[in-house]
Amino acid sequence: MSNGEHIRVEELELLALGALPEVEAAALHAHLSGCEQCAATLAEARGNAALLAFAAKQDKPAGTIKAELMARIRANREAEARSAWPAKSREVEGEGHTRAQADSGGGWWNWVLVPAAVVLALVSLALSWQNRRIAAELERERKAAEAMVHDREQIEKLVGVLAAPDTVTVKLAGTADAANSSGIVKFNAKAGIVLYAADLPALPKDKSYQMWLVPVNGAPISAGLIGPGGHAWGSMWTAEVPANTRAKAFAVTVEPLGGTPQPTGPKVLLGAA
Amino acid sequence: MLARIGQRDEEALSALYDRYSGLVFSEAKRILRDTGAAEEILQDLFYQVWRTAERFDPAKGSLAGWLLVAARNRAISRLRRKSAKNEEFDEKGVTLKIDVESYAAQSLLLDKVRAVMGNLPENQREALECAYFEGMSHTEIAEKTGQPLGTVKTRIRSAMEALKKVLS
Repeated sequence: MSNGEHIRVEELELLALGALPEVEAAALHAHLSGCEQCAATLAEARGNAALLAFAAKQDKPAGTIKAELMARIRANREAEARSAWPAKSREVEGEGHTRAQADSGGGWWNWVLVPAAVVLALVSLALSWQNRRIAAELERERKAAEAMVHDREQIEKLVGVLAAPDTVTVKLAGTADAANSSGIVKFNAKAGIVLYAADLPALPKDKSYQMWLVPVNGAPISAGLIGPGGHAWGSMWTAEVPANTRAKAFAVTVEPLGGTPQPTGPKVLLGAA
Repeated sequence: MLARIGQRDEEALSALYDRYSGLVFSEAKRILRDTGAAEEILQDLFYQVWRTAERFDPAKGSLAGWLLVAARNRAISRLRRKSAKNEEFDEKGVTLKIDVESYAAQSLLLDKVRAVMGNLPENQREALECAYFEGMSHTEIAEKTGQPLGTVKTRIRSAMEALKKVLS
């Protein structure tokens, strides 16, 4: 993921484009929060990516949008002024000669009521506009919440493995069938497995990649499917294996869609623990 | 201009809107393909500028860049049915190394970016547009195009290099 201390520019460019899966992006952000140099490179990459906005067909918004915007900000200004007014009034009263006492009663009320009516009208306009938005947003939020719960569970599992002090790292190398592929396994006998696989070849639709843990004693244990139907999350996957299993090696094989109880197909990634 | 907006100068906000609303709106509309939704994002974004202008630190980045990035992020969030987060000004710096302030500069840049995109190989342009305008991750693009992940990354990288080269 990183080259020495800093994140590679290529990865920051993908991050700036929003082209990294959430888990990978989260891992980079953890580094970025403490690295000014990478943050500056990311800011520049974001600037370059933002220029792609110029590739869009240029169009003009309706004139009413600006009118509504200006109405909203005036309502905002009036509301701010209104909320500040009572404090000012109390301040003057404290000095023993209120402005209300100095002015005639009718003039004072006109000064307050007319702007207040304007404020109320503008606030009503803004509220009605907000109400329309809220109804649509509620439905979107409900669906987003479901996705977020799933994502959070995955992140918790991932962090549980990555943060455990006794987690071990195993590098996986591509076999002759996938010479350009590589992978990294983070394995914790109690918390689970995280696999980061890079450049796996595309599979036919009737095949799945399946990850295996080869224990010190006994037959290989399936650690789940990789890709569609598995615990996929970008190019990272999490899996669980029986607690306290001692691993001798890890492998990824090509299997029939849905996986098999024991490995049958060619290995594409392999590494000794 | 931003300082004037921070001092509640409506004319300054109006001028800022006139300068960038077309770009922001067009970007959001390209992503969402929905005029009403794009206009909503446009208005919300400038309203946020009005309310929080004093928090923007020009030393940390460009306001124009922030507007474009924030509009893109909000449009993608809506497109992908994710909960949108309102970016704080100082949360994500955006450095623009090119002038986009004047209409003339914007016009020149429009021509340049379109020329770059037009000259890109089809597969590079597709990968870049899938990422920026559709919010797809590289793995999603690989699945969509049936290409290996490494190939997709290379295409995006090559396209960005071409863009940077021309703009520099």
